Amino acid sequence: MKNNRMQLINIITLWYLGITLAALLVGGFFIYNKLGSEIDFELGMELTREIDAYAERIEKGAPPNRLLYDKLEITEIPFDLPIEELHLRDTLAYHDPMNRNEIQLKASKSYKIDGKHYRISYYNLVVEADDITETVVVTMLSVFAIQLVFIGIFFRFISKKILSPFHKSLDAVQGFSFQKNEPLQFTKNGISEFEKLNEFLERMSKKLLTDYRQIKEFSENLSHEIQTPSAVIRGKLEHLMNGQITGEQADLIHSAYQNNERINRIVRSLGMLAKLENEEFEAPQTLNLSSYIQKTLDGLDELIEMRSIQLSTEIDPMVWLEIHPFVAEVLLTNLIGNAIKHNIDHGSIHIELNPDHLRIENSGKAPKTDPEEFLERFKKGSELPDSIGLGLAIVKQICVNYGFRIFYYYENNMHVIRILFR
Amino acid sequence: MKILLVEDNPELTQNVVNYLSGEGILCETAQNLYEAQDKILSFDYDCVLLDLMLPDGNGLELLEIIKSQKIETSVLIISAKDALDDRLRGLDEGADDYLPKPFHLSELLARLKAIFRRSKTGGFDEIVFNEITIEIHQLLAKVNGHPLDLTKKEFDLLLFFITNKNRVLGKQAIAQHLWGDYTDDLANFDFVYQHVKNLRKKITGAGGKDYISTVYGIGYKFDPLVS
Repeated sequence: MKNNRMQLINIITLWYLGITLAALLVGGFFIYNKLGSEIDFELGMELTREIDAYAERIEKGAPPNRLLYDKLEITEIPFDLPIEELHLRDTLAYHDPMNRNEIQLKASKSYKIDGKHYRISYYNLVVEADDITETVVVTMLSVFAIQLVFIGIFFRFISKKILSPFHKSLDAVQGFSFQKNEPLQFTKNGISEFEKLNEFLERMSKKLLTDYRQIKEFSENLSHEIQTPSAVIRGKLEHLMNGQITGEQADLIHSAYQNNERINRIVRSLGMLAKLENEEFEAPQTLNLSSYIQKTLDGLDELIEMRSIQLSTEIDPMVWLEIHPFVAEVLLTNLIGNAIKHNIDHGSIHIELNPDHLRIENSGKAPKTDPEEFLERFKKGSELPDSIGLGLAIVKQICVNYGFRIFYYYENNMHVIRILFR
Repeated sequence: MKILLVEDNPELTQNVVNYLSGEGILCETAQNLYEAQDKILSFDYDCVLLDLMLPDGNGLELLEIIKSQKIETSVLIISAKDALDDRLRGLDEGADDYLPKPFHLSELLARLKAIFRRSKTGGFDEIVFNEITIEIHQLLAKVNGHPLDLTKKEFDLLLFFITNKNRVLGKQAIAQHLWGDYTDDLANFDFVYQHVKNLRKKITGAGGKDYISTVYGIGYKFDPLVS
């Protein structure tokens, strides 16, 4: 089944990558800051130690002006100024090896030595922000790339393994069928969530099957319970018919007989609907619908002739459909039977069949309501007292079962029923 | 012809027995599986009319016994259980025909006679009634030796009438016989009337008597005593 829904694994992967990316960004920011301050701190310590060392040497009598070199600055400041505490700052200073000004960290502190007040400053190159950024980005990107590869390869294998019980359950649920009459059965997989799911599915499938059996039995019993007394009534009435009867009695018998027949037809049609709803008709094979139409027409052609109906057909001889043969027969008999019954004398019927759709058009009285309503149960378009209004409901249910789409409309003085097979 | 009717509903049994014995068919009855087994093993029957839902089991069990013991009899299943799988199973296991309940007694008789003819003569027989001769295998009907030009449905109708002669046949019974289960409401659309009319015309046109008469608005009757 190809569709635009995403596979679970893809969703998980995408989310995982998204979250990882966000975490890396935040992490990168912190690492950048931490790295910067850590380097500054270490550098400051180093500079302080250097300054202290120089101060010690001055204390020991080394002349300050001999000590000077490009990283060191010793200035004498007025003695009465207070001692300056260590302070660090960035400054642009000439860097000899690189022969240009660079950002450097400068530490300075003042010392009072032998009645003199010196300010000693010491420079050193700092690691530039650009360099830190570059390092952090490169590091994070490589971590991300490695994760991508790992997720791409291992995550899929691992998740396939982890999710395999889930996929097995999915397959089992998809293969579940009332006809097989077997509850779902799963092997143990040792993952508690999946075990719970399977347990639930097993219980539900058992329950579904019992309910299904009960409904099926109910509709079977109902039809049996009504049909038996109805058969008895029919027999008695047929017996009465054969006696010596007056015209008045004949009318009574006829009326009773007709109504009994009606009950019969309703029960049988409802039984058929129930069976369709219970999906009792699986399509065991594909059958040639074209030949079924021909067969149905052959059975009814005398009726068509009798009403002087013009029949025209455009039947593609190679229309194969996955449908139960009995259901196909009921579908076609109902549709074509309707087209004949609700037609007018000297009317017309046009039947079109191709792999895409079946279209039956017939002349007849204009409908008073939206013809789509005739597809509902007990909604009749005609005043014919003997039609029970279930024929098209059965047709509709068949369409629902097999995933066909049905349309009924009135166009150019013709009733049109169109069934799209896909 | 001697048959065994296996059916647990006494009213229905009585209906069938009344109708069939009127045709000179000897009808014995069994109300349950046990009784039916007893009878089928002790006596010979031309046909067993078998209901599937019996108080002590499924009628298909009897069918199994008949087949396994090689008892020579035809089996016609009559059942309200028109669940499709039962129907197919019954026919698979060697039943000769399957008639869903509720059936018209005239239809039952027609099916029974058809089974009987098939088993005794392989269908190569003639039914002769006064000036009318029906060659079933050829789908041919003759009046005074002249073949009638009948459509398949008219032929079926004539056979149905002659099988059920002297009986009132309801329009529904005729419609169901001609067009099958799901088209019986065609009875109310004058199609039966048209067919009967055509058939009568063809028979009288060939010099036959008009045996078929209308019975009030109920149906038709093939009356052998027509003068």
